[in-house]
Amino acid sequence: MIALMEFINFYLIPGVVLGSIYALGAVGITLTFGILRFANFAHGETMTLGVYFTWTLMQITPFHPLVILPASMLLTVIVVLGIDRVFYKPFRASPTIMVVMASFGIMLMVRSIIQFIWGVQLKGLVPGIQRPMLLFDSLRISPKHMVIIASAVVLVLAIHLLLSRTKIGKAMRAMSDSPELARLTGIGTEKIVMTTWVVGASLACAAGVFLAYDTHVETMMGFKLLLPMFAAAILGGVGKPYGAIAGGLIIGLVEELSSYPWIGTEPLLNPGYKAGVAFAIMVLMLLWRPSGLFRGRVF
Amino acid sequence: MNKLLALPVAATAALSLSAGVFAGEINVGSVAGVTGPIAELVAPIVAGRNLAAEHVNDQGGLLGGDSLNMILADSACDPKAGVDAGGKVVNVEQVVAVVGASCSGATNGMVQSVTIPAGVVNVSDSATAPSITDLEDNDLVFRVAPSDAYQGAALAKLAYDSGSRNLAMTYSNDDYNAGIAQVFEQSFTEMGGTITANQAHEPNKASYRSELSTLANGEPDGLALFAYYGSSGIAIIRNSLENALFDKFFAADGMFDVSVIEQIGADNLKGNIQITQSASDYNDVSYQTWAELYKATGNDPKAPYAAHGYDATFLIALAIEKAGAADRSKIAAALREVANAPGEIVRPGEWEKAKALIAEGKDINYEGATGNVDFDGNGDVAGIYGVNTVADDGTWANELIK
Repeated sequence: MIALMEFINFYLIPGVVLGSIYALGAVGITLTFGILRFANFAHGETMTLGVYFTWTLMQITPFHPLVILPASMLLTVIVVLGIDRVFYKPFRASPTIMVVMASFGIMLMVRSIIQFIWGVQLKGLVPGIQRPMLLFDSLRISPKHMVIIASAVVLVLAIHLLLSRTKIGKAMRAMSDSPELARLTGIGTEKIVMTTWVVGASLACAAGVFLAYDTHVETMMGFKLLLPMFAAAILGGVGKPYGAIAGGLIIGLVEELSSYPWIGTEPLLNPGYKAGVAFAIMVLMLLWRPSGLFRGRVF
Repeated sequence: MNKLLALPVAATAALSLSAGVFAGEINVGSVAGVTGPIAELVAPIVAGRNLAAEHVNDQGGLLGGDSLNMILADSACDPKAGVDAGGKVVNVEQVVAVVGASCSGATNGMVQSVTIPAGVVNVSDSATAPSITDLEDNDLVFRVAPSDAYQGAALAKLAYDSGSRNLAMTYSNDDYNAGIAQVFEQSFTEMGGTITANQAHEPNKASYRSELSTLANGEPDGLALFAYYGSSGIAIIRNSLENALFDKFFAADGMFDVSVIEQIGADNLKGNIQITQSASDYNDVSYQTWAELYKATGNDPKAPYAAHGYDATFLIALAIEKAGAADRSKIAAALREVANAPGEIVRPGEWEKAKALIAEGKDINYEGATGNVDFDGNGDVAGIYGVNTVADDGTWANELIK
C-alpha cells in the first residue's frame, strides 16, 4: 500500500503533470509541421514569452496566473502573428529548410529580447512552497497539480471541439492531410495559417504558464522543453494533434516512471539520464515507425 | 545589480568584429556566465574584475601608460558557449590573457580547446572543480578560487559537526557538482558518516519528485545537494519541502543566491539549510581595503567570488607589468613572481605603488582580497570558507568556518 501510494504520489502524478505540459506544447509543434510544413524551433521561446507576459501582468494586477492566462495568451498570439507576417510569410513558397532556419533565428532573437527586457534572474509566478493536501491519509495531491491537470483537460477539449466541430478546424485537418487538395476545394490558405498560429501560440503560452506555476520563471525554460515536445509530436505522428497529446502524456509518464525502482530498490534508470529518455523514444520511433505510434490513423 | 547594463555590453561585445589592438590599449579577456543558470552570481564578479581594471587605469595604466581593456564575453556557464567565448577573445580580440570563464565546465572547455593551445594564460576566479588541478596546462591555467577538494571537505565537516550522520546526496551531472560531490562523499564517510543514497540528476528538469522519493528511502537526516540554484537546486528544495521528503539541506556555493530564499521563502529554510562559500578572512587588512573600494561601486563585498574576480584581474595586470610587454608567452612566469613570496607586499588598489616597485626592479608579492593568493605547482591556491544560513531578517547570514 505504501509502495503503491509512493508510486502514485511521486511518479504517476508528476508524470501526468509533466505529460500535460508536453502535450499542450506538442500540439503547436505538430500543427505547424502539418499545416505550415516546417519544424518550428521557436516554439519553446513562444512558451517563454507567454510566461513573461503572465509574470508582467501579475506584477500590475492582483490576479491568479490562471485568471491572467487568457490575456497573456492574447498577447502571445499577437506577437506570434506579427512574427509570422514579418519573418515567415516571405518564405511561404521557399524550400522548407529556409523556414526552419528562419525559425531558428527567431528562437535566438526572441530569447535575447526576453533576456534584454526582463533580465536573466530567476523569477517566481507563485513564490514560497505549497504543501500538498492529504487525501485518504496517504494520497498527496498538490492543489497546483490539480489545477494544471484540470486546465489541460479543458484546453484539450477545446481543441477537440475546434478541430471536429468548426469549419475552420475541419479545414485545418484537410490542409494538414493534403495542402494541394485543400487548396483545390477553395480553402483559404492564409486564414488557416493564421488559425494555426493562434492555436499553437495559445497552447504554448498555457503550457509555459503551467510549467512556471509548478516551478519558476527563467529565460531558457521553453527551450529546455523543445526536445521532449518534438519527441511527443513524432511519437504521435507529425501533423496529428491528437497523436501529439497522447505522445506528450506518454513521454511525460515514461520520463518519470523510468526512474522508478521497478526491480529491487535501485531506480531502473539512473535519473541523471532521464532527459535521454525522450530522445531515445524519438530516435526509436523514427527508426521503427516514422509515421507515429498510431500509424497516422488518428488525426 | 547591473544586469540590464551587463547584457547590452555583452551583446555589443559579441557583435563587435573590430579586431586588433588599438594603440594604447591592452586587451584582456573577461569571460563570464553573464547569462545562464548563475547569472545573478556573475554580475558582481564582473564588477570586481572591472574595478581592478579601473584601479589600474586610474593609477597610471599598464607599461607605458596603455589602458587595460577588459573584453567581456558570455560563457553562459556552458562548455560549448565557453569555447566560443574563449575563441572570440583569444582569436578575434587578440587578448594577452583571459580571466574566467565562471563555471568549471565552461572553464574546462575553454582552457582545453582555446587558451592552452593558443598559449594564453587563464586565471579563473570561480571555477572550483578539482579536475582543473590536474589539467595538462603547460603552466597556463591558474585560479584564485580554491579547488573544491577543500570545499567538499569543509562542507562534510560542517554537516558532521551539526549532528548529521546519515545523509542522502544528489549532484547535478557536471564538472563542478560531480567533483565536489565526490570529495564530500569521501570526507563524510571518512569522518564516520553514512551516505544512504547517492544519485546524479539531470539539470533543467521540471520535476525531481521521483528522484527525491527514491533518495528519501533509508531514513537520511538530510540531503547534501550539489547543484546550481538556477538549473535544478531550487526545484529540488521545493519538491523536497512540498512533499515532506527532506527538510534539511547542505549545499556548496553553486546554491548560494538570494533567489533561493525568494523562491522558497525564508520561513521554510530557516535553520534548515547550510551553504558553504569560498570566503575571505574578513579581518584581514587586504580584504578590508578591497571591501571599502568595492562597496563604493554600489555592490556587496560578500557577493561570492567578487573578491576573486578582482584578484584575478589585478594579478594579470601585475604580471603584464612585470613581464614588461603585452606578450602572451611571458605572462605565466611573471604571474607566479608577482603572486608568490618573496617580495614587497602589494594590496588591492595599490597599483601605483606596485608599478613603481616593478619599475625599480624590486620583487613584489600580491596579498589579495581573497587571501595571500600564493599559487602552488598546479596554479591553485588554498581556500578559506564561510557558511551561509538564513538569518532572522530573511537574508543570508555569513560566518567564517574555523
